[in-house]
Amino acid sequence: MNIKYKKLALVSIGAVTFALTSISIVNAAGAELPAGLQIAERINARDEGQMVSRNLTMEMIDRRGKKRVRETRGFRKYFSGENGEEKRTVIFYLAPKNIKETAFLTFDYPQAKKDDDQWLYLPAMRKVRRISASDRGDYFLGTDFTYEDIKKETKVTIEDYNRKTLREDNIDGHRVYVVESTPVSDEIAEELGYSKVIQWVDAEIWIVRKADFWDVRGNSLKTIHSTEISQVQGIWTTHRLEVVNHKTKHQTVFTFSEVDYQSPVKDSLFTKRTLRRGL
Amino acid sequence: MNVNNQTRVVRFFNAVTAYPKTILFAGLVLIIVSASFIPTLVKDTRSDAFMPADHPSLVYRDKVKEIFGLQDPMVIAVVNNGPAGVFNPHTLSLVDWLTQRVEKISNIDPERVTSLATENDIIGTDDGMLVEKFFDSPPKTQVEADKVRTAVMDFPLYLGSLVSREGTATLIVAELDDQAQAQQVYAELLALVDEAPTQPGESIHVAGEGAVSGYMGAYIDADAMRLNPIAASIITLVLFIAFRTIRGMMLPNFIVLATVGVALGSMAASGVNFFVITNALPVVLIGIAVADSIHILSQYYEEITRRPQDSSRDIVTRTMVKMWRPVTLTTFTTMAGFIGLSIASVMPPMTFFGLFAMIGVGIAWLYSMTVLPAGLTVLNLKASKAFSVDTIRTTGEYEVRPDIYGRALSSLGRWVNRHHIVVLLIGALVVAAGIAGGLKLQFNEDRITIFQKDEPIVLADKVINQQFDGVHYLDIVIETPEAEGLFKPENLQRIEALQAYVETLPHVKGSTSIVDYLKQMNRSLREDRKEEYRLPDDENLVAQYFLLYSASGDPSDFEEQVDYDYRMANVRVRMDTGVFTSQKVVIEATQQYVDSHFNASGISANLSGRVNVDYHWIKRLAESHFGSVGVALFLVWLMASLSLRSLVAGIITIIPVAMSVLLIYAVMGISGIWLAVGTSMFAAIAIGLGVDFAIHTVERLQVLLRDEQRTFDEAIEVLYPTTGRALFFNFAALVLGFGVLVTSEVVPLVRFGSLVAVGVSVAFLASMTVLPAMVKAFKPAFLFPKEKVATGVAAEILD
Repeated sequence: MNIKYKKLALVSIGAVTFALTSISIVNAAGAELPAGLQIAERINARDEGQMVSRNLTMEMIDRRGKKRVRETRGFRKYFSGENGEEKRTVIFYLAPKNIKETAFLTFDYPQAKKDDDQWLYLPAMRKVRRISASDRGDYFLGTDFTYEDIKKETKVTIEDYNRKTLREDNIDGHRVYVVESTPVSDEIAEELGYSKVIQWVDAEIWIVRKADFWDVRGNSLKTIHSTEISQVQGIWTTHRLEVVNHKTKHQTVFTFSEVDYQSPVKDSLFTKRTLRRGL
Repeated sequence: MNVNNQTRVVRFFNAVTAYPKTILFAGLVLIIVSASFIPTLVKDTRSDAFMPADHPSLVYRDKVKEIFGLQDPMVIAVVNNGPAGVFNPHTLSLVDWLTQRVEKISNIDPERVTSLATENDIIGTDDGMLVEKFFDSPPKTQVEADKVRTAVMDFPLYLGSLVSREGTATLIVAELDDQAQAQQVYAELLALVDEAPTQPGESIHVAGEGAVSGYMGAYIDADAMRLNPIAASIITLVLFIAFRTIRGMMLPNFIVLATVGVALGSMAASGVNFFVITNALPVVLIGIAVADSIHILSQYYEEITRRPQDSSRDIVTRTMVKMWRPVTLTTFTTMAGFIGLSIASVMPPMTFFGLFAMIGVGIAWLYSMTVLPAGLTVLNLKASKAFSVDTIRTTGEYEVRPDIYGRALSSLGRWVNRHHIVVLLIGALVVAAGIAGGLKLQFNEDRITIFQKDEPIVLADKVINQQFDGVHYLDIVIETPEAEGLFKPENLQRIEALQAYVETLPHVKGSTSIVDYLKQMNRSLREDRKEEYRLPDDENLVAQYFLLYSASGDPSDFEEQVDYDYRMANVRVRMDTGVFTSQKVVIEATQQYVDSHFNASGISANLSGRVNVDYHWIKRLAESHFGSVGVALFLVWLMASLSLRSLVAGIITIIPVAMSVLLIYAVMGISGIWLAVGTSMFAAIAIGLGVDFAIHTVERLQVLLRDEQRTFDEAIEVLYPTTGRALFFNFAALVLGFGVLVTSEVVPLVRFGSLVAVGVSVAFLASMTVLPAMVKAFKPAFLFPKEKVATGVAAEILD
């Protein structure tokens, strides 16, 4: 079997599994649980604003409890194009002093096949450096989030996983659906670095409150916990994300503040020129 | 000794022989109870186990391990001597295949497996820097493989460490979750290598400290398991020749069982681990346990021959009344020797060896004093063919006619008696030769020499140390007072200079630190120009390089080189030899450089790593070795002096033992055997085993000369065929028992067997020649009757 057919076979197997698991299942109480796919669609249908400006504090903690803290100011905006929505993100580092004015710019293209473009501005060199297209499963700037985690923010990729709603549960005092997602193929699993994800999805506001990840070998990999969720300008917003890597014991805490979906975000922010010039 | 004491002794053995079955049963119960603990013994083959856990160099090394996560790894080398070296599709896919499977072995930390299949390349691009794996999936064509070659060869950091400079070999380095499981992991790696799909021209080797300690356990265990029973059988055979009866073979073996069982059982019960050298304990205990029995049984058969009409109980009691004293004295002095070994040793396994050997000696004594007479009482009297009747004495006792061994020893005795000056001169010459040989003794260690030269692990070690920069790691830990201190260019430059210096030292083939990565990044970001392979000179730029790297690297990528807040760094220096004297040069020169050139107000360095730990360990041993042998000798002397109530007695007793120790050193010096970790214990063991010969000789002479008031010539006539004969079998049992170890695969066991055999032979010969000659020459007072006390009392007591 050549690779093309193999892929096709995997996709069709995936599709069948997908169809099977999409059929709504009935829980013990008799009440019907929404199907995994339905939940995923609800998550993705949530409004996250055309643009946002916010402060982000990244705290990285190693297994010995040593911390690296970075203060940033970030912007994100969707640009409409002929192929769909292109997402651009820029992060300006404010502290510590030795990386102040360092800035990171990403263009995330709507076409699945097209690699992201990424640049980092190094003020000490006064140069913008292009960063190679990263694999989706690569770690993002020394954190425990992968590029995929960061890119999707609070959303999910429908086509990567087969989903199954396991049960209803309660987390942080909120009613949630527990959804198990498995990558549709081994290749996708390798790409993402996950063999299984279990998400606790808020049944009212469709935000993933907690997610457990397993690596491709089936070992418990990490847990992302999303807290301090409140509405900002009518949009449900997570203000704190905690990740614990169970293998390396490394942790990351993202704290968002001054989240603003309404103040205009200029297109010109997302250029190499602005990277160089700074905020 | 007074009459009261003597009646007490008689009463004691009357009691023992009155309830023989109870005693036998109690003896059996003790064996079963102690032996039931043995399965809980925990094996500990780590070389770290030889250092006290609180030794600064170990504590610091563990701290370094904790910070940088560094361990003694398993190292797998894939070699291909073909024209393309390892850079061909097949070998690279073999590396990938091995890497994936190694990661799956339980107890190997999958996050800490390093190979061409896992490592990142840092490449300069037109407008940036790229961090990516050398290959995601192994190359399918030679062209792709050539590209990998170009990339690797352009990454100075990996040359000599990950890939040989010629490109003919590459390593897979794997760290363990738990170092104590090294033996199991090594076995699994070997199995993996066996099934690996290799092509002609490719070979795979497993080495590294992890493998060495892993293999050492299995290697020594397997041999000890094979040889201990053979040693026991040979000793049993010697017993048969000596006594030619079943009980003469079985009863001593029962005591052996008790001695070994209780010693190991109490080790297990007190939570002491079974170390590599503990393998030598059973054979030492077998030798000791049998010695007491040989002397008691010799007397027993002599008594039977003399008065065959007496009851079993009378004969046993009479035997024990005569033998309790020498057997107890030898027990005390042997215990003293092992206490000396125990308290003076700087290595915990030796301390425990001494302690539990001492317990074993005590148990051997206890059983020889109770179970052995009890056993003999239960059994019907049966004469030994080795002890035949000669003539009838006027008193109604038969005289024992010496067998061939007895006669041979008698001749020896007469010869020594006639030529005592010659004997003393020969003795002095031997001592002089011993000193000359001993001066050649070298203190050194190289763990790989434990194995035979054709062992796979030795070949692997050789290949890897030849092709690569070596797998003997010296870590230099750099510390700065505050976080991000290592961003400072002046600190980085100091580290660079330190590495440059260390790399000039002999056997140092390379070193790696964060400095090398920063240089590579600097070059990558400056269009890959060769001249840009240097440190950035701006603190902020260093910080930004790390940030840039993190855009495509893993959060834990530099864990082995720098701590999380950039306060501490590790420089890993690679050496191609495990020989102590070579490592010593490097350690001492590096330390001196650090003290005089490196350390400053804002930065300091400390040595660590396996090489440093070994250095301190062996150095401690070197410094303390002669002291600890001295302590053992001193305690034996003290115990002998106290027991025989004479300082001179102590000296006379210690001379044969001291000669045996000296000759062990001489043999080592002449044959080039290093005084090393394993061999350092031989002297103390030889003391423990060898002192018995002198004690038995001296004690018997004391009885013959002082108590029975015989002349020296008479005493010699009695001493040699009786005590001398027993000592001869004692000696034969030990020499043959230990001699079996010479057939071992394990080099240290071969040496152990042969050197202890040398020691025991010297102790026996000196006790049979030099010691009586000295007595004749110097007539020490303690052996002869005091004018006033010389009444018939003593003789009365003993008959």
